[in-house]
Amino acid sequence: MSDKTVMVSVKGLTKRYGKVRALDGLTFTLGAGEIVALLGPNGAGKTTTFKCLLGVTGFDGSVEVNGVSAAKRGKEVRRQIGYLPQTPAFDSGDTCEEVLQFLADVKGSDPVRAGELLQQVHLTEQRGVEAGRLSGGMRQRLALAAALLSDPPLLLLDEPTANLDAENRREFLDLIVELRNEGRTVILSTHFVDRLGEIADRVIVLQQGRLALDATMEELRRAKQPGRWYTVNVNGTEPDVLLDALKGIGIGAERVTPVKTHFEDMLAAALAAGSQEEEEPK
Amino acid sequence: MNAVAAIMKKEVRDAVSSRWLVLYGAAFALLALGLSYLGQRNLGSVGFENFSRTTASILNLCLMLAPLIALSLGAGSVAGERDRGNLTYLLSQPLNRWELLVGKYAGLVTAISVATIAGFGLAGLAIASFAHSLDVTTYVLLLVLVIALVAVMTGLGVVASVVSANRVQALGIAMLVWFFAVLFFDLVLIGMVSSTSLGGAGLLAAVMLNPVEIVRILAIIHLEPDLQVLGPFGSYVLETLGTTGATAILSAALAAWVAVPLAAGIWLFHSRDD
Repeated sequence: MSDKTVMVSVKGLTKRYGKVRALDGLTFTLGAGEIVALLGPNGAGKTTTFKCLLGVTGFDGSVEVNGVSAAKRGKEVRRQIGYLPQTPAFDSGDTCEEVLQFLADVKGSDPVRAGELLQQVHLTEQRGVEAGRLSGGMRQRLALAAALLSDPPLLLLDEPTANLDAENRREFLDLIVELRNEGRTVILSTHFVDRLGEIADRVIVLQQGRLALDATMEELRRAKQPGRWYTVNVNGTEPDVLLDALKGIGIGAERVTPVKTHFEDMLAAALAAGSQEEEEPK
Repeated sequence: MNAVAAIMKKEVRDAVSSRWLVLYGAAFALLALGLSYLGQRNLGSVGFENFSRTTASILNLCLMLAPLIALSLGAGSVAGERDRGNLTYLLSQPLNRWELLVGKYAGLVTAISVATIAGFGLAGLAIASFAHSLDVTTYVLLLVLVIALVAVMTGLGVVASVVSANRVQALGIAMLVWFFAVLFFDLVLIGMVSSTSLGGAGLLAAVMLNPVEIVRILAIIHLEPDLQVLGPFGSYVLETLGTTGATAILSAALAAWVAVPLAAGIWLFHSRDD
């Protein structure tokens, strides 16, 4: 983090809805250009975190985007953020061009950029199609184009692939990889973790409004459950040869199974390790 | 283009393409024409009346129809976006809450005013083609008053929209306001006059509590300058304030009815956690 400009700084973020604490003392910092996966079950506080970052809801604590306070200068903060909601609700009678034209007017963006963005999200042929007639995947891509209208340095993507089938999800994640290459900071809230290892630099996990895990992908890859199992890179050694070798040096291994490391395994291991550390008596 | 202008432009576009506004304009034109035609028929000769008598005839029509459409569309403004799940998305754009609200309000008032002018204009053109005498000034004055009433009632509708959880609730509140202001308030006034010693000043103060009554009296002042139709209350107003004074006070009250609900709506919208 030290070699990167701080793009997002969250300190002691707490959000209450009546007596319920939707967010409870959340603290993290994101550097410019980082792609961060924000994970957690429903109700963990992911969307509420986005609302606080956007400065559209009141909260306790401090939230700054690019050094600007979201609580005090919300409009200025929102100028630096492209937000993609889980279910973009465009007026169904407006064409893709009209949707982008309206949002460009609101953002004060160059309307010419709308055409370029339609091309970037592969919707040029649908420019005259009403938003209500677009498929779910196309609507998400239109929302991504809308989020990019003001060329924001920070993108908040709230469950962008939640309602998409596998093909559309793959296409959408390809677009996010493109954004990564453009050097934007992206916070991606999602339930689907299948390609996160490829896309994200870092993972933040929320549980009941609290920070359960904040780790880089490298830290996740190193995470393990001590004393239960190990993944060993043996540079192509055959399983049977390895098993014989282990027995030969007195290690009572029963079986050696080749595995491919999945992001889910790494995440589960990191979370389990974290919870074990918390339970240890001090 | 700034955010207010962008929201206003979108609101006008959406409202103009709404069937309700087209129906409202058409109904206004047809009813104004019908009232003029039937009014002359009741006098024994079938045909169109001149502007002066027509404006008097359609005054009550204006006072019922314009608040109804303004309150309804105002009630749908913010609550409709909330229902569609679009409000948070709009608020996530680089604009302040007051800009969203003022843009929506200004767009609705513009759209309803255009529909009113179109309805009035069509009726006016038809009447002018057939009537023997013209009183365009009075007709235009009534149009201005109706647009002022639209501005007030749209603001009240927007307030209902801001404080409601959904569009149905907002429409319910808007219809209660319409019922009270258009139908029930007169009965309350009659009851107060007969049961209390309200007096001319008290009655004038009570009238200012209802923008529909303010517009009615402003229209009557200019349609019937001697205010005979208002009886002793009219005499009191003319003696104590004069036509100019009464017009000034009532116009100021109407302006307050535009400004206060809009300011309240903005304050309430800022205090909400949408």
